[in-house]
Amino acid sequence: MSKLKGAIVAAKPSVEKTIIGMLEKSMKKGVFDAVIIPMRAPSGDSFAYVLVKDKSLLKDATPLPPTMFVQGAKAVSSVTRLGKGKIKIAAVMRPCEVRATVELAKLGQANLENMTIISMDCPGVLPSSDFLKYPEKNIKLFNEAAKKLDDKMMRPLCQICDKSSMVSGDLHIGTLGAKKDTFFLISNSTKGDDAANKLGINLKDNIDSWQTKVKTFSDEKKKKRKKAHKELKAKVGGIDNLVETFSHCINCHNCMRVCPVCICRLCYFDSDKVKHSAEDYLERAESKGSIRFLPDTTLFQMGRMMHMSISCVSCGACEDACSMSIPVGQIFSMIADETQALFDYVSGKNLDEPIPLVAYKEEELLEVEDSDD
Amino acid sequence: MTKSLKINKSTEQGVLELLKYLLENKKVKAVFTLKKIEKKGAVAYSLIADVKDLQDAVPFYPLMPVNAGNLLSRFTLKGSPDELVAAVVKPCELRGFVELIKREQGSLENLLIISSTCGGVYPTKFGVDGTVEKNLSKYWDAVKKGEIPDGSRPTCRSCEEFAPYVADITVDMLGKNDLDKQCMMFLNTKKAEEIAKGFKGDFSDKQMDSKKLDKAREKRGIEKKKLFDEIDKKMNGIDGLIEIFGKCISCHGCSKVCPICYCVLCEFESSDSEYGPSNFETELRKRPGLRVPPGTLYFHLGRLTHISISCVACGACDDVCPSDIPVAMVFKKVSESVQKMFDYIPGKNVDEKIPLITFKKDEFKEFEG
Repeated sequence: MSKLKGAIVAAKPSVEKTIIGMLEKSMKKGVFDAVIIPMRAPSGDSFAYVLVKDKSLLKDATPLPPTMFVQGAKAVSSVTRLGKGKIKIAAVMRPCEVRATVELAKLGQANLENMTIISMDCPGVLPSSDFLKYPEKNIKLFNEAAKKLDDKMMRPLCQICDKSSMVSGDLHIGTLGAKKDTFFLISNSTKGDDAANKLGINLKDNIDSWQTKVKTFSDEKKKKRKKAHKELKAKVGGIDNLVETFSHCINCHNCMRVCPVCICRLCYFDSDKVKHSAEDYLERAESKGSIRFLPDTTLFQMGRMMHMSISCVSCGACEDACSMSIPVGQIFSMIADETQALFDYVSGKNLDEPIPLVAYKEEELLEVEDSDD
Repeated sequence: MTKSLKINKSTEQGVLELLKYLLENKKVKAVFTLKKIEKKGAVAYSLIADVKDLQDAVPFYPLMPVNAGNLLSRFTLKGSPDELVAAVVKPCELRGFVELIKREQGSLENLLIISSTCGGVYPTKFGVDGTVEKNLSKYWDAVKKGEIPDGSRPTCRSCEEFAPYVADITVDMLGKNDLDKQCMMFLNTKKAEEIAKGFKGDFSDKQMDSKKLDKAREKRGIEKKKLFDEIDKKMNGIDGLIEIFGKCISCHGCSKVCPICYCVLCEFESSDSEYGPSNFETELRKRPGLRVPPGTLYFHLGRLTHISISCVACGACDDVCPSDIPVAMVFKKVSESVQKMFDYIPGKNVDEKIPLITFKKDEFKEFEG
């Protein structure tokens, strides 16, 4: 992995416009043949990822939309899951979307060979249900809040995100610590170096002020995160609280469907394995007096957690999609922190680092071994 | 001749008395009904075997956390119960279940179905924030008068199929002005008559008052026309549909909670709906750009094609949609016209085959060349 290199780029009239200009230029020069980027839907009430071939479409693109309707990793995976294409594509996403994309590549669900991933410092996103109430007004409010780094309106998980400037793609737009009307273009790979080179951008500027600001910002968020986790644990910790928390769950499995790292085509919890005869269900009801039907609501949540918490990127898509307002993203993210710390792993940070559950290390986890001897 | 059973208690209490009698006397092995679970009082369908747990049952709570048609299918899919189980469900849930039975996804065997004339339910999310609990007395006032409860699901507000079709027992509720003092049940089948024998109540040969149902139907019809006009204006061709479904995030929650969508693996989640890079490249030669993942509207049109003949307009899809798309009203509107074409009411009769699997030689001359 290459060390981060950067350049200071003039951002006029705005950061977004400059990014779009750079993309147009790179398409013109053949650096990329197409771009995956969020655009506002014709109805104006949502944003969707669009694979753009005609660069004239780019003028309507919104590199940093106020919401995340579909996790960007899903967009990249839908195009490259069955293999790399002939065309070179740039994908513009938020850091947690890039991290999920990296996890998907590790899981064989995306092919990044002909893909250049571009991320940017992220101010968070609005919960989509909030956004949908007044789209026009909320776009303005988001833009103002983003400028001031005010996260009060954002998804609860964005408010405690300490990885909002993590660079794990090829290029990154750094706005933190940048002088007025400039941003940092940061490269994280030879692909990134190459793209910058072809655009005539010299990656030789000092990016210390960005790195310092990112560190301060991330440290602040870490503190906030720790506090939030403590409060959440008091609320949902232990099996009784957990069952209570998920008692409103209606088994729609929206959380799983929108999760960028829940990759199974048919979830175990939707499969034949969890379907039983009436007599089996009655036996359970008789032994307990009564059972919720369908049973095993919390088991689904815990099962899903076991399957994906090593790769969870804390994007909050699950929480946004929950029609019963269960803080499922906050819970999963909290557990994911612990799972990932156990393996000294940060999901989506580095494409070359294998997922711990598929990497065998003989000397690993001695502390959970049987210590009878 | 239908037998009627009158109990001098509130309607919900009367039904609970009967259920208690059936469980205590081992006439049924268990009761399937809505019940308050956990401390905070989430309401969920439950399978109750111990009569003690009946005390938390709320059979007619105005909420449909999950369409019970789905649940009864899961209950009986891998084998029916050996002995009778009583199930209290809403008319559209029962219709959904019947449509699933026609698709070999369940069976009525050894089920005693209790349903009622239905006042409708509130959107599921109002069960979480306490709104339903707060509105209970207002709800029952409206039901008594045969009126439409404020804030109930749009599909309920416009529902004209509020009387159950294949229930063993029908509970009189909609438009019953003394429902908090008296419980009236109609025993529609031999099974129901047999099982209620020995229960202390007032048996007679009364019929359901159809006039009050006609009145309620009229009110719902007016509401339906209004809601259909609204959605019609929005639908308005492919552009309108793109506007409506543009904010869909493809979670497919609507298909997951739909009592008719029973495929274990949806076509639109299968490898048939995946495209290789060359497909995208070909497509990009034809147009300037395309939404990814692709197929957002296509999914809804496909689902509409698959299920509109059997849609019971329960509104579960609306409730689960995180993007607030009026998916249920679109589906209800389209489904009604499809069902009308085949003169078919889904869930009305277990023995009537689904039109799409019945071939009639003289059908649809108007589409011939």
